[in-house]
Amino acid sequence: MALLDEPIKGVPVAKNYIDGEWVESKGEIIDVVNPVTYETIGKVGISTKEEIDSAVQAAQAAFHDWRRTPPVTRCRYLFRLRELLEENFEEVSRVQTQEHGKCIDESRGETRRGIENVEVACGIPTLMMGDCLEDIASGIDEYLIRQPLGVFGIIGPFNFPFMIPLWSAPYAVATGNTVVIKPSSEVPFSQTKITELAEEAGFPPGVWNMVHGGRTVVGGMLEHPDIKGITFVGSTPVMKDVIYPGCGETGKRCIAQGGAANIIVIMPDCNVEATIPGLMTSFFGNAGQRCLAGQTLVIVGDDDAFYNDFVAKVTDRARNIRIGYGLDESVQMGPVRDVQKKESILNYIEIGLKEGATLKLDGRKAKEILGDYPETCFLGATIMENVSREMRIVREEIFGPTMGIIRAKTLDEAIEICNESPYHNGHAIFTSNGKAARQFQYDCISGNIGINIGIVAPMAFFPFSGMAGSFLGVLHTQGKEAVRFFTESKVCIHRWL
Amino acid sequence: MNLRTASETLSFIRELEEKAAKFYEDLAERFPANENDFLAFAKENRKYNKQIQMAYQSVISDAIEGCYAFDLESENYTFETDLPDSASLADAATKALAIEEKILDCYTLGAEQSGSLLADVPRNFKMVLKKRDKRLERLKALA
Repeated sequence: MALLDEPIKGVPVAKNYIDGEWVESKGEIIDVVNPVTYETIGKVGISTKEEIDSAVQAAQAAFHDWRRTPPVTRCRYLFRLRELLEENFEEVSRVQTQEHGKCIDESRGETRRGIENVEVACGIPTLMMGDCLEDIASGIDEYLIRQPLGVFGIIGPFNFPFMIPLWSAPYAVATGNTVVIKPSSEVPFSQTKITELAEEAGFPPGVWNMVHGGRTVVGGMLEHPDIKGITFVGSTPVMKDVIYPGCGETGKRCIAQGGAANIIVIMPDCNVEATIPGLMTSFFGNAGQRCLAGQTLVIVGDDDAFYNDFVAKVTDRARNIRIGYGLDESVQMGPVRDVQKKESILNYIEIGLKEGATLKLDGRKAKEILGDYPETCFLGATIMENVSREMRIVREEIFGPTMGIIRAKTLDEAIEICNESPYHNGHAIFTSNGKAARQFQYDCISGNIGINIGIVAPMAFFPFSGMAGSFLGVLHTQGKEAVRFFTESKVCIHRWL
Repeated sequence: MNLRTASETLSFIRELEEKAAKFYEDLAERFPANENDFLAFAKENRKYNKQIQMAYQSVISDAIEGCYAFDLESENYTFETDLPDSASLADAATKALAIEEKILDCYTLGAEQSGSLLADVPRNFKMVLKKRDKRLERLKALA
């Protein structure tokens, strides 16, 4: 099929946006590469500590007036942003595909879910309301108001370059805070596009800032005394060793979302035909690069005929996934983001084989890539059998298009396997039995639970939950919990003498 | 070609509707007495395209099976719009009915396949199917 037009043209440099001005970074300028062609499509600066400091100062200066702007007025900026995002829906989706490699359906899905967060934040006059109780004692009333805190840092990952910062930013600014967003330097153009639209929406200078970069920017955010809190989505080691302790040392609020190694449980009574597309999306969608992707499939029961038939169908479907450039509308799986990530995935497959797993489908080399593209970042879907619960390919995050299959005798055993995982982000079960579904929901430790859903992605009005190795903090991004995170509860007690 | 993703399937359907719309515009020129009917059909086709595109953009999500929503063979639904110069109004209506049948088959199977996956898209397919009933009656009357 013909390719949809690429929106990023002419190797642009992604600039920082500080205090309402677009400024080129003074730091090292690095290439941004399209993982499909492995050609440079743009450049981005690795900003310095002075630049993050400058952005925080601008945000701090803007906070005074912004918090005094009535919530209903703040929302109108978000309504305008929402309209602009709709008008630019296709372009922002194609930017994601071009810089990240995901398929166009996946990018449009990401765009939609990002916009939904802006829409939910538009309800801030209601969401931000406090509580009041008359006569807590005779003649004394007590009420709670929610106040913004100041400047928040938002650190985004590479795998959802458009959507994930929108789990936080709309709620932060709607509640009267100001933000500094740091996108992943691998994929800086999606956030650059959103920031252009935020500028067009008319946010006052300093309310919405963006600084590109890497560790220096993250370190600068963590150390900065004027940043009141940070939301982070990325790897578990960075979450545990850098973000959470860094926030603790400086007394910042923190939402830290890390990695995952999700387990999908298949009961023999599941609707097989309806389950398989869900598994394809779960394990191989976004080339497996998402914290809600399935990594291990646990098939319950000792019915060999069911097991063999189910695995054969899954394998057949996975073998025929169309691989190529996501701007070709027929493509079902794009490349992984870069060579290092591909090598890491290949390494995990080797580890699995050394530990006793066997290849049912070998995707270490993509069978066929649609279009004339180098194999550099492409992988096929890999399925491994004879996997056991103690293997590293079950217990560690692979973040690639792989499926390891375990057999469990009972649902109890399957739940045990889920619960002994170091990660608890999005485990799921496929079954037509309500009792089994309820037991799974009740007993399985997981921030998000799927019942016949392979990607357990909460809608914008629910928190994006997560537990144990997948999350550190108390409140979560999205919805009412985000509103709580971005506001301080102030309690007033009145007595008129 | 085997259509699997939501994006390629909806692009394909959009092309079918547009091709049929141009066919009706051509008929409107050739049969001025029935110009209003044919132009209305062309307008409706484009309205359906917008309606379905809006439904798709509203419902598409990274968490649903958009890349695995369909399994349609495009060859089963493609059609030619050539009509000989000597064709009568009845010939044209017969040809239009054949085209409509292809489009309706595509919507019908597409709605069935994507029923549990894309929510509003198959619902809109069904709405388009229902709305076309009157057109079919009109074309049958002309054939």
